[in-house]
This record gives sequence, structure tokens and C-alpha cells, in this order.
Amino acid sequence: MIVKRRVAIIAALSIAAMTALIVWKPTVLIYGLQAAGLYAAVAIPMGLVLGIVHIVNLAHGECMMLAAYAAYFGCKALGMDPLVAILPTAIVTAIFGWVVFQLTIRRALKAPELNQLILTFGLAIAFSQAINLIFTSQTYKMPLEYVSASMDIGDISFGVWSFVFVAVAIIFAYGLTFFLTKTMTGKAAVAVGQNPRGAAIVGIDVYRTYGLVFALALALVGAMGALFLTKSAIFPGVGSPFTMKSFCLIAMAGIGNIPGILGASVLLGVAENFLRAFRPTRDWAEIVFFVLIIVVILARSLKGRKS
Amino acid sequence: MNRTASRIFALLFGVLAVTLPFFAGDYPLQVARNIMMYMALAITWDMLLRSGQISFGIAGLFGIGAYAAILSVVRAGMPAWFSILFAAIFAGGVAFVIGFLILRLRAMYFSIVTLALGEIFRIIIHNLHDFTGGPEGVVIQKGVVFGGKANSLYWLVLAGLAVAVAASTWFEKSKIHFALTAIRNNEVSAKSSGIDIFRWLLLAFVVTSAIQGLLGGIFVQSYGFATPDAVFSADFTLLPLAMALLGGVYSTTGPIFGAVLLGLVSEWLKLKIPYGHLVVYGIIIVVVILFMPQGLRQLVRRTPHGADGRSA
Repeated sequence: MIVKRRVAIIAALSIAAMTALIVWKPTVLIYGLQAAGLYAAVAIPMGLVLGIVHIVNLAHGECMMLAAYAAYFGCKALGMDPLVAILPTAIVTAIFGWVVFQLTIRRALKAPELNQLILTFGLAIAFSQAINLIFTSQTYKMPLEYVSASMDIGDISFGVWSFVFVAVAIIFAYGLTFFLTKTMTGKAAVAVGQNPRGAAIVGIDVYRTYGLVFALALALVGAMGALFLTKSAIFPGVGSPFTMKSFCLIAMAGIGNIPGILGASVLLGVAENFLRAFRPTRDWAEIVFFVLIIVVILARSLKGRKS
Repeated sequence: MNRTASRIFALLFGVLAVTLPFFAGDYPLQVARNIMMYMALAITWDMLLRSGQISFGIAGLFGIGAYAAILSVVRAGMPAWFSILFAAIFAGGVAFVIGFLILRLRAMYFSIVTLALGEIFRIIIHNLHDFTGGPEGVVIQKGVVFGGKANSLYWLVLAGLAVAVAASTWFEKSKIHFALTAIRNNEVSAKSSGIDIFRWLLLAFVVTSAIQGLLGGIFVQSYGFATPDAVFSADFTLLPLAMALLGGVYSTTGPIFGAVLLGLVSEWLKLKIPYGHLVVYGIIIVVVILFMPQGLRQLVRRTPHGADGRSA
């Protein structure tokens, strides 16, 4: 009951803040939501891996970068649109994820948590530097007509294409929730996430489930990589900020709470764009998220200490 | 057997390090300076690791020290050699303050927060245009330490390395070693043995950060300029980490060994492959974690042990 009241208060406050923003600076809210969609869509697969395999994949953003490169050169070679490439890229990265899991992460699952952290850190460096080695740090961009579509409401004009990220984030969040609660494989994955030993006793192949979840997460990231390519230029370091941002959002939502990532990303996206809207604070927008991550983690650790 | 071997190794290394400027040219000296810089950072990273805490914030404290040194010279007219000490004190002080907040965190939360703090430092320096010079950075017009002579600068870096080695040895030989190892192995049992966990962690964090700041000061004084991208470069986190892991963690000799090996390899690779030679570091980290978590020391150590086991 008390929890419900607190949720209601927070919801009421955020709705009030949103309305105030709409009246005062509508573009902040629009671009904030678009950024939030992108952040959430990238963070959700990482949340899946963290919730079930219990691995912080520091190579998460780099995986998206790899997918974007794969999509770019696939599109170049076959002359197709990145939107058509979403499905093939997802399949390719799923297979890639399965292989990476079997070759590296699986062997480190029993090792101390710190080893896993350093392992995925090493993978991140290896991925981004391998791309740097092959394609150098040159940027690549797909020239596309439809991404510059814009809309006018009253006297403000804004790009609408990025709303696709919002849609994708919502599909990811609710699709995954459906998968985890309604399907047999999904339920098995949740069981493994809660208690690997118990899951093994009732006959679930734990490592197969881990591999499957990891491959699924990479498939989603791969799809995002192809979609990301429509909007943004790609270069070897393009993915790494997303790793930290994703982790921040997951820590805010709480590990295992996938729909919560949506709410957290709105907060981050709007706050960043709010600072970006004013000239004196524009350069400080980047810092918001780093401060937020520290505040969230400290607050969580203090709360954990009390209870 | 093992101990004598590592003593001989240490002695040889020391003699080589001290005599190098008398016969080597400018380029080898420059390479040696780079390697020693990373070696010292690797040792400090390892010193904190001995308590079980992984820091990804080496670059952050290194950069803080670098800017403390250069700004104290440019803005406050401090003598060059004193600014290096000031860098150490400043970084240590910063670590002392943030240590109160973040040393209560464990495992991945500590690591992520150190990474984020490093970024925060970089952005702050980047954005305070009037004081720090913003993205273009600051240049020391006059008053570079030793007038920038290559030989003297070599001695300066060597002194920085000596501080790191001395601190690491102190950590190894005194009771700090037992406290940190106990914390790493099991915090509950460490606490019940009367170890004040927070105090020891704070000590380790402040000492390692101060040395990282000192090295930042030395770095910036030997090049005479600082930009946010140069001194907060991710290389200062990544390379020491890979070196310590490769050589073998929880020791002084491991990071030294790893730094010599990896430093020479990367110098060679840098000439061969200008783009993306860092891929080697990523692969080394992955391979070492998967197949030899104790690093190369494991190989050195296991052979005599195995032989003893069979003969006994």
C-alpha cells in the first residue's frame, strides 16, 4: 500500500514536470523522448543478460557497433536498405553471440565476478580495436531520405524518424516480458536466473539457457545496430558510450526489472536534453549521466545497508 | 629457488634501468620512459587489486594529477619540481574525499563508479575553459622541470617508478599485506578477525591514487603540455591493466615483467600497424583471464613446483 502511494506520488510529479516542459520547452521533451527510446532499446538486451546470466557485459555497446558495421557493409554489397537488413543482422549477431558465449564467457562463469568484468572489458577493446584495425577510424554513414522527415506543430519543427526508437524500445520491453512470462523457454530462463542450481535439478540445461539468452540479447542488439545505422554515422568508438549508459539505466531500474528501464531512460534522456537546450549549460549535458550513475549506485548501496 | 630467481631478475632489471642513459640513444630512452610510466601505473593498479577492488579509474586520477601539476605552475607560479609533489598530494586528497563515498561499494559497482568518476573529471576539466584552457589544454611557457633534458627526465620517471615499487614492496612486506589479502578472500572473516576494512581500503586507495597523481605530474612536466584528451586517455587505464594481468597480479614483479614484455611488443606494433594495434591488448586480456588467471608468473612458478612435487 505504502509502495503504491509512493509510486503514485512519483507518477504525479513526473506528469506535472512533463506538462510544465511541454508548455515551456516542447523540443526538450520531444528530443528527450527520442533519446530515451534509443537508450532504452540498447539497454534492454543488456538488462536481459544481467538479469539471467548475471554478467555485466562491458562489450555490449561494441556488439551494437559490430552489428552496425556488418549491416553497413551488407547493405553496400547488396544495395539494400538498413531497414531490410535488420532481420539478417539480428540472425548473424545471434550466431556471433552464441559463439562468443561458448568460447569465452561460458568458461568464466565459475570464475570470480571480477574476472568476468575484466574479460568483457577485454572483449570490448578487442572488438573496437579490431574494427579500428580493419576499417580505420573513418566514419561511415548511410545517406537515406526518410530519416530527415520532419513535422510542424504550431511554430516548432522537429524530426520524427527517431520516434522509431521509442517504438522499438516499447516492443523490446513488452515482447521480452511476454517471452519470459508466457513461453516455456522464457520461464526456464527466468528459473535459471533466479536459481541456476534449482533449475538444473528440475532438468533445465543451464548452460544452454545461458547461451540462448546471450544469443537472444545479441540478436536484439544486432537489430538495434542496423536501425542505429539509419540515423547515425558509425566509427569504432560509437558503441562504447552505450555500454555505460545501459548499465546506468539498468542500475536505476533495478536488475531484472526490464520495463523499469523505459522509465529510467526517459529521465536520463529528458535531463540531458534539458541541459543541452541552454547555451551556458550545453557542454555539461554529457556529465548528467555520469553523475546520475554515481548517485543511483550510492543511493542503492545506502538503501541496501539500511534494510 | 624461486625467490633467488626473482631477486636476480630484480637486480638485473635495476642495473639496466640505472645504466640505460649512459649507453642508449634518445629513442630507446623515450621508449624506456613510456614503459616505466605504464609499469608504475600497473603496479599501483595491482596494489589496490590486492584488496579485491578493481579500479577502472587510473586515467582519471592520472589526469587529475597532471592538471594539478600544470595549473599550479601556469596559474600559481609554483616551482616545477614542487608541482609534481603537489600533484601527488592533490590526487591523494581527492581520493581521500571520494573514498569515503565509494569505498563502501563492492565488485562491479566500485569498478563502474571509478570509470564514471574518471569521465566526470575529464568533462569538468574540459568545460572549465577559463581556468583549464578547455579542450585545447595548457602549455607551460617556461619553467619545465630540468629544462626538458632527456637524460634528466629519464631519471625523473625512474624516480616515479621507484616510489611505486617502494610503496608496493611496503604493501607486500608489512601487515598491510595480510589485511588486504584477508579482505580480498572473505570480508566477513576479515572483519571478525578485527580488521577495520574501510580504513585499510582507504589507505590503499589514497596511496595508489597519490602515486597515480604523482605520475600524472611527472608526465605533464616531461612533455610541457596537457589536454583533456591526452592525459585522460583510456590508454592509461587499459595498458596498465593488461600489463599487470599478463605479468601476474598480486605482486610487484608481475606487473614489472608484464610491462617490459607488453611495452616492447606494443612499441614494435605501433610502428608496424598505426591503427588498431591496441587490439593486441584486448586479446591478451581475454586470453590471460581465460587460460592463465595468474598471468605469466604462473608458468614460471608452476614448473619448479611441479618438479618438486614429483620428486618428493
